[in-house]
Amino acid sequence: MNLLALLTDGFGADGGIAAYNRNLMTAVAQSAAANEIVVLPRFGDRAAALPPRVVQLPAAPGRAAWIARAIAIATRRRFDAIFCGHLNAAPLAAWLARLTSRPLWIQAHGVEAWSPRGSMARHALEQARLVTAVSRHTRARLLGWSNIDPSRVRVLPNTVDAVFASDTMARAGDELADLIARHGLQGKRIILTVGRLSRAEGYKGQDRVIEALPDVLRRCPDAMYLVVGSGDDAPRLRQIVRQFGMEQNVVFAGYVGATELPAYIKLAHVFAMPSSGEGFGIVFLEAVASGRPVIAGNRDGSRDALADGALGTLIDPDSRAQLAAAMIAGLEGRLTINPAGAARFAFANFARHVDELVRHHL
Amino acid sequence: MCGINGLHAYHYAANPIDRAELVRTRDHMAARGPDGSGEWIAQNGRTGFGHRRLSIIDLTSGGAQPMTSADGQLVVTFNGEIYNYRELRRDLEGSGHVFQSRSDTEVLLHLYAEQGAAMVRALRGMFAFAIWDQRNDTLFLARDPYGIKPLYYADDGWTFRFASQVKALLAGGALSRDPDPAGLTGFYLFGSVPEPFTCWRAIRSLPAGTTLTVDRTGASAPNRYHSVAAIYRQGEAAWWPAADAAGLVRTALLDSVRCHLVADVPVGAFLSAGIDSGALVGLMRDAGADDIQTITIGFEEFRGKPEDETGIARELAARYGTRHTTRMVTRAEFEADLPRIVEAMDQPSIDGINTWFVSKAARELGLKVAISGLGGDELLGGYPSFRDIPRWVRALFLPAHIPLLGRGVRLAVSRMTGALAVSPKAAGLLELGGSAAGAYLLKRGLFMPWELSQVLDRETIGEGLRRLDPLRLIGREIGGREIGSRPRSAFGRVATLESCLYMRNQLLRDTDWASMAHGLEVRVPLVDSVLLSRLAPCAGRFGQTTGKQVLASAPTRPLPGAIASRAKTGFTTPVGGWVRDAAGDCSPGSRPASIPGRPWARDWSVYVGERMQVAH
Repeated sequence: MNLLALLTDGFGADGGIAAYNRNLMTAVAQSAAANEIVVLPRFGDRAAALPPRVVQLPAAPGRAAWIARAIAIATRRRFDAIFCGHLNAAPLAAWLARLTSRPLWIQAHGVEAWSPRGSMARHALEQARLVTAVSRHTRARLLGWSNIDPSRVRVLPNTVDAVFASDTMARAGDELADLIARHGLQGKRIILTVGRLSRAEGYKGQDRVIEALPDVLRRCPDAMYLVVGSGDDAPRLRQIVRQFGMEQNVVFAGYVGATELPAYIKLAHVFAMPSSGEGFGIVFLEAVASGRPVIAGNRDGSRDALADGALGTLIDPDSRAQLAAAMIAGLEGRLTINPAGAARFAFANFARHVDELVRHHL
Repeated sequence: MCGINGLHAYHYAANPIDRAELVRTRDHMAARGPDGSGEWIAQNGRTGFGHRRLSIIDLTSGGAQPMTSADGQLVVTFNGEIYNYRELRRDLEGSGHVFQSRSDTEVLLHLYAEQGAAMVRALRGMFAFAIWDQRNDTLFLARDPYGIKPLYYADDGWTFRFASQVKALLAGGALSRDPDPAGLTGFYLFGSVPEPFTCWRAIRSLPAGTTLTVDRTGASAPNRYHSVAAIYRQGEAAWWPAADAAGLVRTALLDSVRCHLVADVPVGAFLSAGIDSGALVGLMRDAGADDIQTITIGFEEFRGKPEDETGIARELAARYGTRHTTRMVTRAEFEADLPRIVEAMDQPSIDGINTWFVSKAARELGLKVAISGLGGDELLGGYPSFRDIPRWVRALFLPAHIPLLGRGVRLAVSRMTGALAVSPKAAGLLELGGSAAGAYLLKRGLFMPWELSQVLDRETIGEGLRRLDPLRLIGREIGGREIGSRPRSAFGRVATLESCLYMRNQLLRDTDWASMAHGLEVRVPLVDSVLLSRLAPCAGRFGQTTGKQVLASAPTRPLPGAIASRAKTGFTTPVGGWVRDAAGDCSPGSRPASIPGRPWARDWSVYVGERMQVAH
C-alpha cells in the first residue's frame, strides 16, 4: 500500500502531535501491507531521521503552499489511501480522497475533535473509511456530534518511550542532585506537573494544584510544587500563587526539553495533573513508567492513560478535597505505583494494532 | 427465552473484564431467567459471558449456559428458540458431530464450527446470541431476522459489552448515561425507540437480521443477512397463480404453528376475539396439540358492551376444546402494577400494557410458553395503512414534489384556528404524503416533527432529527436506494414498513419486556422468516380482508363466519383511559394536544418519557 500522509507536524517537529505522528508513521511503515509512506508536513525537519519506507517531503509551513502541494502530490501520484493527521485539514483530505476515489483515514487527537465542527469537517468524517481516536473519550465526543458509523472509529492510544522505564531511569541519578540544587528543593517532597501553561487551553489544572496546596501543607509541611512548562498562562498562575501565599512552596521551572524531562519526573514524589481537557496525556504514561504515583482527572482522555485507575489515581478535577487528599496520600507513599502496567502501551502493541487496522479496515 | 450478557476487553490497552460488572448486568435480568444462572470467564480474564435461564427445551443441566464446545474453542450464550434444531442436529450428526445434550443451544455451537457466520441463514426461530471463538480471538453476535429477541451493545473503544436489555447494561455501572437525542426524538415521533438507537448514546441495538463481529481492534458494522423488503421483492418475481394460493398459505401457516410448538413444557395461547389468535388456536389443534390452555383478559368496564372480547373468546375456546381462563383486570390492579410496569419497560414505549396483564395471567396459570397472534396484521394486510398509504402516495405524488408547496401549505393551515383548525397530521399531508416513507410517518407518527417542541427542547430536537433522519430511516427499510431489494407492490412496501418499524420497534419490544417481566416466553408463529418466504409470492393478492379471510379459514375447523367478518376493533380496552388518567400526573401545562384514534397516546408518552428519564 502506498499512503499519502498529510500532517501538521512531521518528523523533526516538536510536541505531542509530532511524537504521535512519528510513532504512527513508523508503525504503518512496519505493516506487512505497506509499501511507501509519503509524508507532507506543514512543520518538520528535512534532516530528521526517517524509518525505512517513509519519505518526507519538504515542510510547507504556509497554509496555502501546503494545500497547493497536497493537491499537486495527490493528483500527480497514485496512492492507495490518504491519511489526514489533523481534523483541521480533514475537508481538504476528504476532497482529495473523493477526487482520486481513495479511502480516507483521519486522526483525532483531543480537544479539536470534542466540540461540533462545521459541516465540512463533519462530512469529511462521515466520508472516512477509518478514524483513529487517541482515547475513548475523544472517540465518544466525536461520535456525539458526527453521524459517522461507530464501527469506523477505532481507538489508537499514545505509546510510551522506553527511556522512561524505571531501570533506564537509574542512569539519571547524577542529574537529580543538580536539579535539586538548581531549584532549591533540598529536603522537600515534590509534587510535579508537566504541561504547557497555555491561557487558551487553560485546562491542565496547575491552578487547581496551587489552590489545594494549603491543605496539603497542613499535613505535609515539606511539600513543594514544581511546575514544568512554559506559556502565556504563567502570569495568571503566579498571581494565584501570591493570592494563596504559596510563594515559598511553588517553583516554576520553565520549559524542559526531552533530554532533561526523565530526570525531572524522577525527582517527583507524586505527579499530579488534574486536567479536564486531555486527549490522552502521554506525560501521565511517562510518569507511570518512571515509577511515580500519578494523579489525574476522571473526565477526559486521562482515564485512558491511567487505564481507569489501574495505573494511577483518578479524581474529580473540580474537587479540591479529592485532589488534596490524593496528593497527601501520594506524598505519604499510599498511592498505587504500577510502572510495569505502562508496558501495555508499548510500541510493539501499538504497531500490531496499526498493522491490523491497515490490513483489515482501510 | 432467557437473558444474556457479556463483556469483551478486545483492545490491548483495556483492563481485564470486571466479574462484578458481568454479574450485575446478568442479575438485573433475573426476571427473564428465573430458573438458573451461569457465567463463563476466559482464562486470560478478557472475555466473559453471563446467562439467566428460563428452561423450556432440555430442562436438565445439560442445557445450562453459557455452554462450551467439547474442544473448549467455542462458547455460546443464547436467548431464544431454534425451532428447526432437531433437523439441524440430524444433519450435523450425519457429518460427524457428536452432541453432549438435547438442547437447541448446542446446535448453535456445532453449526458455527461448521459454517462460521453463515450459520445464521440455516436457523429458523427467534434468537439473540453471542459466540466466543477462541481460534481467532473473535466475538460473534447475531439477532433473528425480525428482531423478536432483543440484543443491545456498547463499544467504548476498548471494551465491548452486550445484553438483552438496555437497563441491564446500565446496571453494570461502567457506561455513560448521556441521553441520545436520536433515541428520544425517535420515541416521541414513533411512540417507541427505533433501532439502532436507544435512549442512551453509549448503547445501540443490534439491528434485526444482522450479525456483528468484534476482533482485536473493535466491533464491525452490523452485517445484514436478512431483509424483509428483499423477500417481498423476490416473492413478486415468483407470483403464484390465484388458484393455488389458499392451499399453499394454509400449508405454510400450519407448518409455522407446528414449529412453534416445539418445547419440553406445555405451550398455551393468548386468545382474543380477533382472527389471528383464534385461527392460531385452531391450527395448534391441527398440529396435534391436544391440551391447550388459553387465556383472555377482560375488563369490567366493557361487560355487556360490543368491545367485550371475553364472550367470543369463550366460544372459540369451546370450539377448539381448550382449557380456557378469562382473567379480569381492574383499574385498581393497573394502578398497583404501574410502578412495576414502568420499571420493567426497558426503553420508553406507549404500549405493552395489555401484554403485561395477559402474560401475568399466563404465569399465574403456571405457563412458561404462550402463542400469540402478533404479526398477523403485518403479514396479511390487516391494518388500514395497507389501504391509506398507497392511496395517499398516488394522489399526492405530484404536488409533494413541487418544492416548498407542502411546507407552505402546512404552515398556512397550522395557523388556522377555531372551526377551521385542522390536525397537525392533516396539515402535513401534502408535505409528507407523496412518498411511502412520508405517508408512513403520517400514519404511524405520534408527534409530527414540527410538533416536537411540545415535548423536547430545541437542541435535542435539532440534534435528534439530524442523527435520526426519520424519512431516511423509514425509507431504508424498503430498500432505500438499492433498487434491487425494493418491493414493487404497494402491499409489499407497506407490509415491509409495518413489519420492520411498528412491529419490530413497538410490538415485539413491548411483548418482550412485558412477558419477560413475568418469566413467560411468547412465541409468534406469524412472525417467521420461513413463513414470510412462503407467503411473499402471493402477498400482492392480500387486500384488507382477503389475507385475514385466508387465515380464518386455514384451520381444518375454520373460524365461525361472524368472527371472520368482525370488524377490527383495534386497541379497545379501557387501558387507554387508565393510562391517560395516570399520565395526568405529568407536568401540568405540558399536556400535548391529543391525536385522533389514540387520545391517550400522547399524554402517556410524556408520562413514560418523564419517568424513564427520572429513573435513569
